[in-house]
Amino acid sequence: MGEKEEIVLNAIRDRFPDVEVNVKENKWGRKRIWVNVPREKFREFIKFLKELDEDAHYSIGIEEDAGETLDFSIHFLLFYDTSPGVSMIVKTSVPKNDPTLPDISDIFPISLQFEREAMEMVGIDFKGAPDKRRLFLPDDFPEGIYPLRHDEKGIPENMVKNAGHPYLLRREGK
Amino acid sequence: MIRLPLLPTVIKNLFKRPATNPFPKTEPVPTPEGFRGKIVYNVEKCVGCRMCVTVCPAGVFIYLPEIRKVTLWTGRCVFCKQCVDVCPTGALQMSDEFLLASYDKYDGKFIYLTPEEAEEIKKKQEELKKAKKKSQ
Repeated sequence: MGEKEEIVLNAIRDRFPDVEVNVKENKWGRKRIWVNVPREKFREFIKFLKELDEDAHYSIGIEEDAGETLDFSIHFLLFYDTSPGVSMIVKTSVPKNDPTLPDISDIFPISLQFEREAMEMVGIDFKGAPDKRRLFLPDDFPEGIYPLRHDEKGIPENMVKNAGHPYLLRREGK
Repeated sequence: MIRLPLLPTVIKNLFKRPATNPFPKTEPVPTPEGFRGKIVYNVEKCVGCRMCVTVCPAGVFIYLPEIRKVTLWTGRCVFCKQCVDVCPTGALQMSDEFLLASYDKYDGKFIYLTPEEAEEIKKKQEELKKAKKKSQ
């Protein structure tokens, strides 16, 4: 165990010498590679992963609001023909005033679903995505509000409903 | 040829008793030990530590700071038993009761400590305080 991680790490260092790479190990000895890719190299990096392992498995795309930036991370599984495979998280950050990322759905077709989710939930714009419809939010949901944002573009106070507690209702005399 | 592999089983089962429990005419299936039924709240034991308010995932509890007790609306309870496990004085317990259908979601059986009861407790506590001061 650990040899496969070495292969992937060396391949990344050869091709992208200035990309930030970390290997973390949990208490059960499972290793995971964390990669921070600048967004200029994002699409190139994903292409490189596909070339590195043709069967690379795109598990999930995660979007989050990290205060100053919007983060988009993808969990990949590489070389999983023998257990355990190489678990890898590729993370990109985009500034809030220009939240654009290149679309990668021609390399990993499933990524389109996660990109649609990221577009509606935190407002990352994927340039060149073939389908920009909403995925989870209802059609009558207002434009320009992104539910998973922590800032002023998040859900306003008046949209939050609480069914109420009978003690409080009686106190108010309803 | 048509294959009917279930036919022998069906014919055998025709001569067996139904394995059902005709509930309103009989007792319901007995609850196992540790069954999580409706919460029972003991107001006297409660010390107002707010642990149940912190731990409840469903918003059943509301803390009443003036009497240092909580009020419950079990209409929202999800029967996870976390409040019972966390309660340091054992004021909250799980009962065996599970037949909880009702016409009114604000039915009295779902509510512990109404505002009127809270007022009463407040008065009692104030009297106790006065009595203590006098004795000192």
